[in-house]
Order: sequence, then C-alpha cells, then structure tokens
Amino acid sequence: MTTITPQVIEFDICGQICPASLLVALREINRHVLKIKEGSIRLLIKTDNRDGTHTIPEAAYNMGLKVEVQKSESCYVITIAKR
Amino acid sequence: MSGFTPPFLLVTGLLLGGGAGFVMHRSDFCLAGMFRDLFLFRSTYKLRNLLLLVASSMTLFELARQLGLLPLYPFPLLGPASLTNLIGGGLFGVGMVLAGGCVVGTLYKLGSGSTVSAFALAGLLAGSALYAEMHPGVKALSAATTLFPGKLTVPQLLGVDPLLPVASLAVIASIYFLRWFRQGTWERPSFVAGYLQPWRAALILSLISLVSYVAVGMPLGITTSYAKIGGYLESLLFGAHMKGLAYFQSIPLDYRQPVTGAHLTGGPGPVLDAVALIQFPVIVGIVLGSAFSAARLHELRFQRRVPWRQCLSALVGGVAMGVASRIAPACNVWHLMGGLPILALQSLLFVAGLLPGAWLGSSLISRVVIR
Repeated sequence: MTTITPQVIEFDICGQICPASLLVALREINRHVLKIKEGSIRLLIKTDNRDGTHTIPEAAYNMGLKVEVQKSESCYVITIAKR
Repeated sequence: MSGFTPPFLLVTGLLLGGGAGFVMHRSDFCLAGMFRDLFLFRSTYKLRNLLLLVASSMTLFELARQLGLLPLYPFPLLGPASLTNLIGGGLFGVGMVLAGGCVVGTLYKLGSGSTVSAFALAGLLAGSALYAEMHPGVKALSAATTLFPGKLTVPQLLGVDPLLPVASLAVIASIYFLRWFRQGTWERPSFVAGYLQPWRAALILSLISLVSYVAVGMPLGITTSYAKIGGYLESLLFGAHMKGLAYFQSIPLDYRQPVTGAHLTGGPGPVLDAVALIQFPVIVGIVLGSAFSAARLHELRFQRRVPWRQCLSALVGGVAMGVASRIAPACNVWHLMGGLPILALQSLLFVAGLLPGAWLGSSLISRVVIR
C-alpha cells in the first residue's frame, strides 16, 4: 500500500473583506474537490474572519470533506482534507 | 440643559455602545452579512437571529410602554413614510454589502483591527457630507411622496392599540422560534475562542436597545454624527460653501429627555449639540468594546496587505451608505433595532428597499470585488 503525501495549497485571507474567506474556500474546494477526496491535495486557509470558521467547515463538511480549525496567533487556520 | 444631563448621556452611550461592540465582535453579529448570505449562499441562519432580535425588541418595547416607561412613543426623529425611505433602503443595501459591514458593523470590525473598515468609515463620512448637496431635492421628493401624513406606525394607520398587532406578531414568531428550537438550529458548532451564540447576542442586543429607548428616549442611532464629522471636515476645506448648505443648518432633534427632563436639540451641523452628546459616546463605545473583546482573545491585529479592489469597494460602499442613511433617513440599526419593533412605516419601507439592494450588492461583491 502506498501513502500519498498531499500537496498543501495555502491561502492567506487575513484582513480581507467579508465574505472573502468563504468565497475563496468554496472556489478552491470546487476547483480541487476530486483531488482533495483522493488525498493528493489539502487546502489550508488562514483567516481572521470569525464567521468563516463556522461557514467554511459547514460547507466543506457537507461536501464530504474533513475540516479542522486551529487558532494560530491572531488568526485561524482551517484545513480541508480527505475525510 | 441641566448639569446632570451631559454626564448621564455620555456614560449611558459609552456603556451601551461598549456592550454592543463587545457582543457583536464575540458573535460576529453582522447585520449586512445576514442579508448578504441570504442572497449569496441561500443561508437563512443569520437572518433568523435578526428576526429574533426584532421580535424580542418588539415585545420588550411594548412591555415597557405598558409599564409607562416609554413616554415618547413613537420615538423622536421618526416621520411619515415616503418614497425616500424605499430609495434610501435600497442604496443602503448595496452599500453595506460592498463595504463588508453596515454602519455599526464597520465600527466593531474597525475596533478589531480591520483596515477595510477604515476605508468604509472614510466613505461613510464623505457620503454623509455629500448628501448635503442633494438635501433640497431629497426633501422635496420626500414631501411630494409622503404616504399617510400624520401616521407614523402601522397601529396608528390601522387605528388600533399597538398591543394587538405586537402580541399577534409575537405569537406567530414564537411558533417559528419554537420549531427551530426543536430542530436544534439555533446553536451552531463553535471553533473560535470566546464565541457567543448569535441567538444570545440577539437577546442581549434587544436589551441594549430597550435600555437606550428608556434611558435616552430613542433606540440606538449613529449616522447623524457621521454627517457632523463629514460636515466638520468639509468646513476645514470649503468653509464658506459648507455654511451655505441648508442641511447643516437643520435641527431635526427637538425633544424633552425622559429621564433628566432636559430640553434637547441637535442636528447634522458640525457643532457640539445633543446629537453629538447622544451619538458620539455610542460610536466610541462600539469601537472600544470590540477592541477590548479582540484584545482579550489576542485577535487584535491591523492588516496591511489588503487587495486594492476590496479597499475601493469598502470606500464606495461607505459613500453609498453615508448618502443612503441621510436619504432614508437613518441607518439600518435605527430601522431594524428601533423602528421595525414599533412597526414604523418608514422602517418597513426601508427594509423593503434593503432586500433588493443587498441582492444587488451581493451580486457585485462576488463577481467584481472578490476575485
């Protein structure tokens, strides 16, 4: 059995206008959804938008993906990966 | 004005604004986002919390009126409905979405360090001053299109006591609220530090609104002060021109303060009057309350790298909101948290305009601004 090391694609949305974090996340999930599901890509979204930490995980989870939210200094890092 | 009135209004405004700013930051209670997400993401979650805020305020206001705590009912500055409420609401709807937050959202986001909101605030001040140039035309349009002269609220229009429509709406709203409670859709999973569930924020904000109505005689409002600051800045650049504008000479606020009994007057002109005394502390309070909340969570950080397209959008949105809140007259907070709960006709028309405006703004922000 071979283990795939996923390519991490990172987006820094800190300080951007609402609802940039959710729009960017949805756009990138739709663009890479097949590769995220097979485990070859992982999205990492850095945001300071508190609302995005609810809306992004909800949208990603509903699309069958795994989501993790972690606080990093003054921002939140949302990781979207294969479930 | 008695000696007790200025410190009373100053402290009340700071506390109410501070509380609102803290609560809004903790729950990200964005009034613009509520309408935007309805059109952009077909999400009604946030809007439900606004319905809870309106229904709760409606019930509390009526309870206070029944107890004799609201001698000024309807509250000062409300006028009869006209076409300008609808136009103002529409333009405000576009502006608040383009700016990434309404007049209060801009303040609490600014308090937590948002650069974009600083552009929106600059736009709000410019738009409020710009309105003075079009005031005579808007005033004439408002007078020519006035509906039901002398009637300010739905109960007045129907000739019934407010208790009847308020109690009916409260019962209908409670049925829906209970259904959503049984479905478990009020609470949302939380991943952020210090998160305040929006339904709790809605209830706290309705209490803040009630305290403002009882103590100040009016619900929260801040946009006339934006016109004051805008007018002051204009006076530094074009003093003679500013002094010649009729709008800055108007004194729309003229009432007896219910707690202190002081006779208060004020308007948009760049002078320190009752409007400044009531609204400036609320503005400062919201910014400080939000900044305090963000600092406590170690989330206070000013961003420098923001796409120019978004800064321009916030500026344009701010100008639109500034102009619209004078046309309407007043902003979404005044109409949603104050006017709608007493079924003011002006506020109903404002919301009727706000919906298509927010739809247009949502379309623009997703296609043109965020790319």
